[in-house]
Amino acid sequence: MRLPVGVKVAIVAIVVMGSYSGYANYIPQIESKPPQELSLEGGNVTPAQLIKAGDEIYKTKGTCEICHKIGQKGTRAPDLAGVGARAAKAKPGMTAKAYLIESLINPNAVIVEGYPPIMPAVDKPPIALNRSEVWALTAFLQAQGGTVDVALNDIPATVGAGGGGGGAAAAAVTMPGDAKVGKTIYMGKGGCLACHKAKDIPGTPVGPDLSQIAKIQTPDYIMKKILDPKGMGTVAGFPPGVMPQTFGQTLTAKEYTDLVAFMLTLK
Amino acid sequence: MVGAGLVLAGVALLVTALPAFAQEAAREPAYRNFPWIGSRLAVWAVAQLHLNFAAFILGVPIFAVIIEIIGWRTRDPRYDWLSHEFVKLTFAAFSTTALLGALLLFLFVGYYPKFWTYMTSIFFPTYWVYALLFFAETFTVYLWYYGWDWLSGSRKWIHVSLGVLSNLFGTAILFLANSWVTFMVSPAGVDESGALKGGVWAAINNYAWMPINIHRLIANIVFGGTIAAAYAAFRFLGARTDEERARYDWMGYIGNFVALSAFIVLPFAGYYLGREIYAFNQTMGITMMGGFMSWLWIIQAILIGVLFIGSNYYLWLGMERIPGSERYRKYVPPMLIILAIGFMVWATPRSMVVTLDEARAMGGTHHPILGFLGVMSAKNTAVNLMILTTFLSFVLYRRANRVSQKPWVKTGMAVQWAVIALAAVIVTFYGVYGYFVESLVRIGFSVYQVVAVLAAIVIVMAIDIPMFKGARSTGVIRWGTIAPRSQYVLIILAVTFTWLMGLMGFARSGIRQHWHVYGVLRDTSAEAVTPALGYAANVISVVTLVFFALVMFIFWLGGLSEKGKAGAHGHVAPAIAGGSEDHG
Ligand code: HEC
Ligand code: HEC
Repeated sequence: MRLPVGVKVAIVAIVVMGSYSGYANYIPQIESKPPQELSLEGGNVTPAQLIKAGDEIYKTKGTCEICHKIGQKGTRAPDLAGVGARAAKAKPGMTAKAYLIESLINPNAVIVEGYPPIMPAVDKPPIALNRSEVWALTAFLQAQGGTVDVALNDIPATVGAGGGGGGAAAAAVTMPGDAKVGKTIYMGKGGCLACHKAKDIPGTPVGPDLSQIAKIQTPDYIMKKILDPKGMGTVAGFPPGVMPQTFGQTLTAKEYTDLVAFMLTLK
Repeated sequence: MVGAGLVLAGVALLVTALPAFAQEAAREPAYRNFPWIGSRLAVWAVAQLHLNFAAFILGVPIFAVIIEIIGWRTRDPRYDWLSHEFVKLTFAAFSTTALLGALLLFLFVGYYPKFWTYMTSIFFPTYWVYALLFFAETFTVYLWYYGWDWLSGSRKWIHVSLGVLSNLFGTAILFLANSWVTFMVSPAGVDESGALKGGVWAAINNYAWMPINIHRLIANIVFGGTIAAAYAAFRFLGARTDEERARYDWMGYIGNFVALSAFIVLPFAGYYLGREIYAFNQTMGITMMGGFMSWLWIIQAILIGVLFIGSNYYLWLGMERIPGSERYRKYVPPMLIILAIGFMVWATPRSMVVTLDEARAMGGTHHPILGFLGVMSAKNTAVNLMILTTFLSFVLYRRANRVSQKPWVKTGMAVQWAVIALAAVIVTFYGVYGYFVESLVRIGFSVYQVVAVLAAIVIVMAIDIPMFKGARSTGVIRWGTIAPRSQYVLIILAVTFTWLMGLMGFARSGIRQHWHVYGVLRDTSAEAVTPALGYAANVISVVTLVFFALVMFIFWLGGLSEKGKAGAHGHVAPAIAGGSEDHG
């Protein structure tokens, strides 16, 4: 049997692309995940926890390992082994922690000899670490041969502020609330089901279906929308002013956080 | 073609409505969820399809006009016919391109309203220019296509000018669209909050803009060429008469020739782009080449290897239909060896790093042996030698059936060989020397390598053209007698190049990671994760398949009107079989 030309050509095309796809699926699969925010302000952390958090940031969100290797002198950036000890003598009249913090947020103030000035400011986008994270990172660097004495207050309050400009809301917020309790509030005291459907919880079509709200909306928006529905604008296709404006008063702080935690599971 | 006009009107309307829309959008959700497949995939697929079509309708006319000019100057009707044929193909794809563009816009407005509002806040003035240019382009292409017979003879120059003009408009459109895309990668002209500081020009003229302009312009020519060649191959395979086979064999050859000529310079444009990205942001550059994307370049290298080897193989097969080419067949095996080695070096990963954990386990990012071949120095050398070899294939192909009658032919050939050998030596020398110097110096070396190769190409051709003027023929090219498998090679080239474009699109887009606009506007949607290559490859394959299916369908539609009235528009296909000693 002779195959029509179209079929033969299609087979060739599919085989060619299939082999490219096959190869691409065969190699290691690496995703690039958006970084999580870490907040330590107000919390009690031990130095050990701090260093551990810093280590994590160093390897992931900080992307430091793109350029630095600890214990290995690279051509791109200095070896950071022993930097905790070295920092004390790096700049006359400057403490180790002050030097390290400066290296992170104002890297071009002192250029280590023999290296190009390519080190990015870590509190600015795209790395955009927040104040807590810079704190943890500094502790981690101090731990490289020095003593850890950095406190949150050593990090200037301006660090990380305004980074990310046009909408750098936290990429992922982990709400302290309890989603299970939140669900009961959704169905009970909040009375949300009077107007909204959410996954397996039936509701009326007065308001939008919330089954996927966490997928299509930012946590920030959801949190504000519950407290101030009008202020967040009206969802297209729905009447304005119907969603009660009073949840801010009727729900307790705990109920509110639980409710939000529940909302964030809707995706 | 009413579709294009309608879509255009729709786009214009939308553009005028946008400021009001933007205000609305400010109070809108940041994202909406596209049903079933999710917003990201929807935008991805439509964007890639739109880009494929756009590349096609921008690339094909560029060489259509070149071919038209050749036909005009040489008075060879074959070229005029071919040019018309190509414009016809473009024309058929026009409205689909516009439709996909509009669809893409709707997806942005609807599913990424916050992102779109932001982009509008920066680029609003350019939307107008875009709409106007689009109109101008459509209009001139219409004139170009429909005025073919009317503007012939003594008015041919007007017609050619129309072709050039429509290409200028097309290029301007490309540049404008590029400014939006590159702004997302390397934003400029905005302050820390993301607001425009001065005029929009600074945002347009960002780091990646010019390199992408050049890169895409060249790539579009390659793309147009490969698609046209694939079309010819398809017609060749389905042809019923020798005459048809001869015609489409020739058309495929020309398409491939144009594609190959442009393809040879593409890697250089790629380096330029890479360098600008490093200049914009080291972290981005390093992430791109060595971070989570490092494997992408290995796949890219494989695809480019397929393209090089495929093009050469096609030329070698083509030699068999040329009497007299037996003299040159002995060169094929060594050329194949060079290409194969170059291919392997190029596909060697720069750093075998897969994850940072693995790097830590391995104690460094470079594989002890493979790392040695993986560095840029070796790759530059490999690609330059591959280019040189491909050029050699072409030179041999060109002279396959000709015997120069010039008294200085011996000297001429000796000089040619010496020049090629010298270029190879220079390339290799700097390649090896590159291992012993700082990376900054090494980057400078790649310039010498490129200059050596380009100079060799120019010098060899400058000798070749006069040398074979009035050459004795050992027989005419037997167009149409090429082995059918060569036509599958052409199809594989088109598929591979289209796939490669999809991959490069993923690279450009993925490099922003969890940012819509790098460092300025964060992607806070649930789909902010940049997927792994396997997933990306699957998407690219499916979209490429859809693209080809659409193209086939459109060409089929385009062919319908001609069924039964051979030589529509008075463009009778010229006879080619055995009719020429010229190979374009
Ligand atoms: C794009 C490459 C790059 C990245 C990413 C990078 N650095 Fe650097 N870093 C450098 C270079 C180059 C130097 C030396 C020049 C200078 O002092 O600015 C340096 C210097 C430093 C110093 C001062 C070292 C000394 O011996 O005085 C510290 C501390 C440091 N980096 C920490 C970090 C941390 C922590 C991160 C991750 C958040 C990071 N760097 C990310 C390139 C980089
Ligand atoms: C009286 C009916 C009513 C009640 C009760 C109500 N809502 Fe709404 N809700 C609406 C309407 C109508 C809209 C759409 C119009 C708007 O955006 O204001 C809406 C919109 C929303 C949205 C935005 C959806 C989107 O797609 O952007 C969220 C989130 C939301 N409501 C959450 C809640 C929660 C949580 C509760 C319970 C604490 C609640 N609503 C109780 C009527 C209600």
